[in-house]
Amino acid sequence: MSAQFVIFGLLAVTSVATALAMIFSRNAVHGVLFMVGNFAAVALLYVLLGSPFLAAVQILVYAGAIMVLFLFVVMLMGPEPAPLWEHIPGQRPLALLFGLLLAAGLIAAVNVEELTGVPGIMSQEVLERLGQPTALAQTLFERYLLPFEVTSLLLLIGMIGAVVLAKREKHELQAERAPREGGAE
Amino acid sequence: MIVPVSYYLVLGAILFSIGVTGVLLRRNAIMVFMSIELMLNAVNLSFVAMSRALDSLDGQVFVFFVMTVAAAEVAVGLALIVAIFRSLGSADVDDAHVLKG
Amino acid sequence: MAQINWAETIWLLGPEVILTVGALVVLVVDFVRDDDRGPLLPGLTLITLGGAFLLSFTYLGLDRTALFMFEVDNLTSFFRILATGTSVLILLVSVDYVRSRSRHAGEFYSLLLWVTLAVILVAASSDLILLYLSFELLSITSYILVGWLRDEARSNEAAIKYLLYGAISSAVMLYGMSLLYGAAGSTRLEDIARTFSDPAVRVGTLDELVLPAVVLMLAGFGFKTSLVPFHQWAPDAYEGAPTPVTAFLSVGSKAAGFAVLIRVFLTALPMFQVDWAAVLVAFSILTMTLGNLVALVQTNMKRLLAYSSVAQAGYILMGLAAYVATDTSTLNGIAGVLLYLVAYLFTNLGAFIAVIAYEQATGSVSIADYAGMVRRAPWLAGALVVFFLSLAGIPPTAGFVGKLAVFGAAINAQLYYLAVIGVVNSVISVYYYFNVVRQMFFMPPPAEGEEPVRYPQAMGLALTVSLVGTLLIGIYPQPFLDLANVGRQFLAMLPFA
Repeated sequence: MSAQFVIFGLLAVTSVATALAMIFSRNAVHGVLFMVGNFAAVALLYVLLGSPFLAAVQILVYAGAIMVLFLFVVMLMGPEPAPLWEHIPGQRPLALLFGLLLAAGLIAAVNVEELTGVPGIMSQEVLERLGQPTALAQTLFERYLLPFEVTSLLLLIGMIGAVVLAKREKHELQAERAPREGGAE
Repeated sequence: MIVPVSYYLVLGAILFSIGVTGVLLRRNAIMVFMSIELMLNAVNLSFVAMSRALDSLDGQVFVFFVMTVAAAEVAVGLALIVAIFRSLGSADVDDAHVLKG
Repeated sequence: MAQINWAETIWLLGPEVILTVGALVVLVVDFVRDDDRGPLLPGLTLITLGGAFLLSFTYLGLDRTALFMFEVDNLTSFFRILATGTSVLILLVSVDYVRSRSRHAGEFYSLLLWVTLAVILVAASSDLILLYLSFELLSITSYILVGWLRDEARSNEAAIKYLLYGAISSAVMLYGMSLLYGAAGSTRLEDIARTFSDPAVRVGTLDELVLPAVVLMLAGFGFKTSLVPFHQWAPDAYEGAPTPVTAFLSVGSKAAGFAVLIRVFLTALPMFQVDWAAVLVAFSILTMTLGNLVALVQTNMKRLLAYSSVAQAGYILMGLAAYVATDTSTLNGIAGVLLYLVAYLFTNLGAFIAVIAYEQATGSVSIADYAGMVRRAPWLAGALVVFFLSLAGIPPTAGFVGKLAVFGAAINAQLYYLAVIGVVNSVISVYYYFNVVRQMFFMPPPAEGEEPVRYPQAMGLALTVSLVGTLLIGIYPQPFLDLANVGRQFLAMLPFA
């Protein structure tokens, strides 16, 4: 029965290692790939926690859609585009120090023996009988109907935003093409 | 459940701190954005672990919504980064053109 | 689950349904009729907002009803009125601004409607999940609106910085929510309170998780209300955003942040008041002092108003920090916060409307260019003086009444030092407000800019409404006091307060 511990240990080490590699990677493409590794490791942890559905969503949405979008933009802009903020002297050591302190504080806070809140509505038997995705869907469409509708609005707004902010109009495209073609000649 | 919930929570705390460190460490917008995704990922892990420990589905539903929000946020954020790149990048192209001409 | 009574549900969610559908109609009409400049789109938006605004009054005093996770109570009614009222004024000033700067007018108006909806949803959420989603709805819509002038590098940069700061703080807030969920076993604010009020359940580990959870969640709430040290986005975003959007951020978005603070702390964590009130006192002092000191050295009008609005958040927070549950007078803190928000709405929007009108005419937001404004626009300059008097808290204006309420609450709660620090800060703020007044009245105008400033009628109407509101609250505050007191009544219906 210690197999679970071994798997957990492996996945934990993988996720921490990929996370560290991501924040220290010089090349943004490598960073994206480390992130995909991290998402995969965490997805497997979800399986270990008995949520295969969330694991699948994690792979599809995060590793599949979001990281591909990141990769696309990185490819468009080159690996190391101009920084948005000016360099603050001593930023690196201060950031590392703050990170360590935060980790220590948070670990101290969450390292609890057990969670003693009120037991939830879903007992382990109910969960297993319904099959996990079914139970999730039932909760989603009954109790969480309003948040679900808000999400649809959120995605619509995200779409409108992306189009308004990034789409080029016809005349802009023409204006952009004209000098380049002129230059090539 | 054999692995105690606190193991998962501590792992979540470590990943979250790494994400925060990345945010403070990097100055490139894309890397900062990815570090934020790492923070969200750590939060999601905590939610799923707690949801399991509490026999409640709320935490898992929360994760489901967080992923949706992250997708919308990334779409808008990357659109903005592309827009900035376009206004700065096209200026660079013009400069190069002038120099070569 | 029981059968849903759709007719009743739609009636209770009336303003929200109107806003959602109205925004979709605006979007479709914009798509079908390629007419970005005519009066059709702003007209439809105005009808939608006006309808939602008027309808919001009918829910005042209604008994508390929970729909899914949407709380229909007096606090919600109050913020419905506040949010839709704010947006009506913002719409009046943005028509001209948007027409002269953007080709995507239809999308702008529908986003304005949705961002109003988001403020109401944030104020009404009784569950952490809906709260988080509405919070993000508000944030993401705001990011897009800040970056609206996409051909201006400043607007783009402001938006991406706002987005990154916003995403960071919402991730931190989410971590706090996860701790709270772990401690209480539920995402419902009321269930969280129920868990903590039961001494049998409440043992060691739970309390250990609550304080970190409160501090982490404050990162997200403090971002929206621009509390120091979560205010860093504000000057950049305020400066780069289209000015009507800046006005919205400083009023609507901030009001949403305070609604969340009130809702979450008083519904879910009333038994931890000693802890969070102490944290809020510290934030309040830090916020008003730093905001005022940095405002002293600003040379750009939008940045000045940014820091001034940071300082105002510090004063408003004072009311919540000094909340005394047993006190039922107006000086119990919550009523003070609500009254201050109404006063701040008229005052700060008014100041921004005057700035927008002047910017439309002169193209500048630099304080140096306000020299000799009184000769070019005497009416605007006079109105701006009234708004500055109100922001500084000098009678007979709305700001004075608002400050009286929150400072009085601090004294009532025996937080005398807090009240003294507030008064000292108000005195400091007089200096930078009157520096601008000095420019407007006593500095000679630049040689070329002598022609009178003109602005459209809609802007004049919005300015008049703000001016009347600012003076009315200062002279005859009773109706607004009543409104704030109705809003506060949601407290009486909380099961565990």
